[in-house]
Amino acid sequence: MAENQSAPPVASRRRFVDWLLGTSVGGLVAAVVYPAARYVVPPASAESAASSVTLPFSPDDVEPNTGRIFKFGSQPGILVRLASGEFRAFSAKCTHLGCIVQYRADLSQIWCACHNGHFDLNGHNVEGPPPAPLPDFEVNVRGDQIVVSRGA
Amino acid sequence: MRRRRAGSVAASIVAIGLAGVCGPPVLRGQAPAEDNCRVCHAALGDPRLTPPVEAFATDVHSARGLGCADCHGGDPSVAGMEGMDPRKGFVGRPSKRRSIDLCGRCHSDATYMRQFNPSLRVDQVAEYRTSVHGQRLLQRGDTAVAACANCHPAHSIKPAVDPTSSVNPLNVSTTCGACHASAEHMRAYGIPTDQKAKYERSIHWEAMSVRRDLSAPTCNDCHGNHGAAPPGVSSVGNVCGQCHSVQAAYFGGSRHADTFQMIGAPGCATCHNNHEILASQDGMLGVGEGAVCGNCHSPDDPGGVVATALRQAVDTLRWSLDSAAAILTRAERAGMEVSQAQFDLDAVITELVSARAAIHSFALDSVRPIVDEGLAATDTAFVRGRRALADLRFRRTGLAVSVLIILALVAGLSLKIRNLRQARAGVSHGGNHG
Repeated sequence: MAENQSAPPVASRRRFVDWLLGTSVGGLVAAVVYPAARYVVPPASAESAASSVTLPFSPDDVEPNTGRIFKFGSQPGILVRLASGEFRAFSAKCTHLGCIVQYRADLSQIWCACHNGHFDLNGHNVEGPPPAPLPDFEVNVRGDQIVVSRGA
Repeated sequence: MRRRRAGSVAASIVAIGLAGVCGPPVLRGQAPAEDNCRVCHAALGDPRLTPPVEAFATDVHSARGLGCADCHGGDPSVAGMEGMDPRKGFVGRPSKRRSIDLCGRCHSDATYMRQFNPSLRVDQVAEYRTSVHGQRLLQRGDTAVAACANCHPAHSIKPAVDPTSSVNPLNVSTTCGACHASAEHMRAYGIPTDQKAKYERSIHWEAMSVRRDLSAPTCNDCHGNHGAAPPGVSSVGNVCGQCHSVQAAYFGGSRHADTFQMIGAPGCATCHNNHEILASQDGMLGVGEGAVCGNCHSPDDPGGVVATALRQAVDTLRWSLDSAAAILTRAERAGMEVSQAQFDLDAVITELVSARAAIHSFALDSVRPIVDEGLAATDTAFVRGRRALADLRFRRTGLAVSVLIILALVAGLSLKIRNLRQARAGVSHGGNHG
């Protein structure tokens, strides 16, 4: 009689453990695999700490004697296409106070609007307060792609 | 065109010799093989006569083939005192007044100078005549003022690009300060002697000496070199505007331009000083402590109200930029991808710097649109930063939940294993009894 009374709690505990083990499998998949997958799957925008980037436009999208700002990691760069068709790229942060420079087709120069700083198409500071040249990048055109890299 | 380095031009210009008395020397290409001036003076060992010969070996004129006689006259082919005959053009040590014409014989001769540097200016003497130095020397006979050799030391003249040159940008303030920082030398003129000390506390000197930016201004960039004179009150803005053109344009169109002119206030220098120009801070704006607008305006007058509003606008943008940058940096350091948001936020630096330039219009209408554009971008960046941190919290929560589940699973498995072992032990025990 005493044995019959002690059996139900043991059975109940075993059922609970069986239930726990069974449901944990689903929980494991949902709660472990999903966040882990979120960590593992690369974010939408790639090449954040880039030493090189492939620009999101093709060479044909850039007319001669124009310039375009591009994203190099989290920093701005400027791609310039000379009248001759040659591509050159520089950091787009003015060496004076960090404003973003732009290309002036009327001057064929890179220009900073903040304090009227001018850079030639080799990135050299040629007028106004910028104290140093713009750091340059290497530009390689591979078919329809423009790849910009940090210099060696 | 980039600022011209008056000092560099000066040294280059003086780089060529002053020969004979009636015209520039004939170019020989190298010093005469038999230069008895050097031979004798080097051997004399006289402390007045030998050092100039020794120093001249490093002089740019010597390197261009000019010799002693090209400035001092005489006949170097003749040894002894006979070579120093006035009938042979010997002039000895020229007076300060005469040195102007002596140097000018070559340096004012475009045809002659073209042989050495076609782009070199040849108007130094003409400029010098307009300078305070030149007017005092040539019109009043004041020989205490500077002439050519005071800035370009005779016998050891070097091009301005040479870091050891007295007119290299890094050395110009010392060269000018040799007289202008000397209380004794300046006593007769009644002008201050603290300009050099003040300049060396300025942002310009810091740029020059610490950051080694040789395009930063020194004495001659604001005062001229050969035509040295204090800029007039009305021309201070033009002088500063050589580099600070955007601020000068805003200021020129502001109501302060006419008012300052009317009361004789020297434009930019009224708020920024002249020699002791410190790095501009947002704290200079407004009417609070340390703000320069409060020097003339009270908080309640219309100008004070505008100054306060300008300060608030710039402060708001700076705080918003800092806050957005901080939250994005937190997200980035936590491993979140926020490079696009950081890239977009970078553009706000342009707005902040532009707004700081635009305050020289002293008009809220010029500043407010720039600030508003910047604030819109910082708000967007801030939201993206918060979203990234929320995403981070979600991932961490998920990780914590998963860890708890794993721990529960481990605990469950342990219990299960223990139960199974107990059950097996029970069966085995029962079997033995059976």
